Amino acid sequence: MQAKKFLTGLSAAAMAVKMADVDVITSFPIRPYTGVMMVLSQMVANGELDAEFIHADGEHAQLSIAGAASAAGSRTFTGSSGVGVTFAMENYSPISGGRYPVQMLIADRTLDPPGDFGSEHTDALGCRDQGWLMGWAETPQEVFDNTLMFYRIGEDPRVRLPQFNCHDGYFVSHIPGEVQIPEQSQVDEFLPPYKPVNPLDPQNPVGHGPQIYSDQGPALEAMRANAMMASMPVIEEVVDDFGRIFGRKYPPFVEEYMTEDADFVFFISGAHAHTARYAVRHLREKGAKVGLVKIRFIRPWPTDDIAESLSKFNAVGVVETNTSFGIARGGGILGPEVCASLYDAPQRPLIASFMAGLGGEAITLDDFYFMAKKLSNIAESGRLEKAVYWMGFEE
Amino acid sequence: METQRVEKIRLDPIKNLLKVPVDEYYVPGHRTCAGCGPALNYRLVAKAAGKDTIFVGPTGCMYVANTSYLCVPWAVPWIHAQITNGGGVGSGIAAAYEARIRKGKYKGKFPNVIVMAGEGGASDVGLQSLSGAMYRNHDFLYICYDNESYANTGIQTSPMTPYGARTTFTPPGPAVPEGKKLWPKDLARMIVCGHPSVQYVATASIGYPIDLMNKVRKALNREGAAFMHIHAPCPKGWGFPTDRTIEIAKLAIETGMWTLWEYENREYKINKETKKYKPVSQYLETQDRFSHLTAEHKAKIQNFVYQKLATLGIKVPAKAVAA
Repeated sequence: MQAKKFLTGLSAAAMAVKMADVDVITSFPIRPYTGVMMVLSQMVANGELDAEFIHADGEHAQLSIAGAASAAGSRTFTGSSGVGVTFAMENYSPISGGRYPVQMLIADRTLDPPGDFGSEHTDALGCRDQGWLMGWAETPQEVFDNTLMFYRIGEDPRVRLPQFNCHDGYFVSHIPGEVQIPEQSQVDEFLPPYKPVNPLDPQNPVGHGPQIYSDQGPALEAMRANAMMASMPVIEEVVDDFGRIFGRKYPPFVEEYMTEDADFVFFISGAHAHTARYAVRHLREKGAKVGLVKIRFIRPWPTDDIAESLSKFNAVGVVETNTSFGIARGGGILGPEVCASLYDAPQRPLIASFMAGLGGEAITLDDFYFMAKKLSNIAESGRLEKAVYWMGFEE
Repeated sequence: METQRVEKIRLDPIKNLLKVPVDEYYVPGHRTCAGCGPALNYRLVAKAAGKDTIFVGPTGCMYVANTSYLCVPWAVPWIHAQITNGGGVGSGIAAAYEARIRKGKYKGKFPNVIVMAGEGGASDVGLQSLSGAMYRNHDFLYICYDNESYANTGIQTSPMTPYGARTTFTPPGPAVPEGKKLWPKDLARMIVCGHPSVQYVATASIGYPIDLMNKVRKALNREGAAFMHIHAPCPKGWGFPTDRTIEIAKLAIETGMWTLWEYENREYKINKETKKYKPVSQYLETQDRFSHLTAEHKAKIQNFVYQKLATLGIKVPAKAVAA
């Protein structure tokens, strides 16, 4: 029997971390992710969760400690936001290269300057090439579910990779939603205890992370790349098993919403999919052939699933919520990856990026209606007026 | 919640050289320089700590010269840390064992966790990480092996490079005749003064191996964080023949350039008091890195050494220096 609770994304994550019986937690305050650590520290203080709760000396230290604790065989949890995510950057590659399945909750925050608490995905996306699994949750329920699913995927012996468990700051981290909390026995059935491979242990001496001669480099890099690709069938398995045990069925990578007979779609990751659904329903009532495609993972990037989904449409509007100054096509990070996914497809839609929700700005229904108008014109004319639209600066 | 007792390993004092364990845990297969002080230090520390040990190696000579071609010269577990985060990695391993043993997920004793960081990784780029770990008082030993420069990258100045030393970042020249102009940090005392939870801090030298090994054992037997600062001369970086490493390590103590002390039960104890300190010039003259110094520079160093000894409560007779 699952209990219903009304929880923020951060409280939902804390509840999942507790049920996952995490051993070592490393904290450092930065808004907006901080709340998850406030809840976890109270759980430890109450004796509800037996874990080492460590006050790290900064985000770099959070990741240093969590990575080492994972290397020494424990299940670990950490988290951050914004410049905290980038301050820890040095550690991401050693952790994925060491194949330590650390989980890091990221409640997105815009990078400085200027000081800005609002959500933008650039903090996490800036670390997308470091060998970590990465995906966004749209609701507190999805945060809870992803926390459990990501541990299971990352700790799978075929994968052994760390995970960025991301969601939009404030929109998800701080706005409560209904969350079904399962029985502990269900969690135990879904997520077995972590079985480390060759942890640091005097009973079985091993060395982690020695220097190599350059001809040993390619093999090691290929192994990490292969692990990332090998996670795809594991993700499919885990999502299935999650549905079986908890009754909530997620698509492994790509979720389509009202895409049947659609001419054009919004392509999106994260919280703003929530508003986009309303916009799609409203536009459909008015006769527009619009749909929504939401992705649950950015790493691994589900190239084939995206190509299969998007090649059905005439136009795709990528909602970016991130920046990458000077990137191909001059927009955000997702657009070029979407384009690359479709390069080999027999049927290719026209693709435009919409720079929206930057600095924590909400993406309103009107914004989606504006995007729909542009996309409708593109789909109808068969011509891309331009590749990138900056919302709020367009005619 | 049912919890298990976390049991520690106990190590007995070593009475003399004949009682030193014959087992080696830092073994051949590395490529440190001939006469390397830090490598000898590693061997002594590993002997003292024994088999139930996990070493953490932040980037530095003892990472790069020890681990090559995917091989490591330790018969105990070892993990690389970044030069920035030896303290954090030591913390993480200690925390993992606390939790795993307590929760019944690991059967065995709490291991000796030893971070072996160069003085650059300890006092400079990794200082925050060290301080954080000492403040949190994780049960581990942080050792700073001090060869007085960023030696692995080609002998660049670190915060513990002595005043007047030539390094590849402090070359002497007409505008900067002394080379290095700054005075070194005093890391061990920084740990004592700023970290009230830390109950054991000691300095040591590879010139005095029994003292060194017993301090390692004392530090490991204590619960909570401990810190050691170990002087380890570097023939390549300092410019002296490879067969003089031990002699120079001892000369450092005989001239007051280095001092052996320990801080225990909230008190300092000087382990090797020298009745009459030799003039520092005798030490400086053994090393090429000081060969450009004038009498004026050497007098400044002599003065600095007196001040440093005085802060430890060591009285230096006015006539200690003849020259």
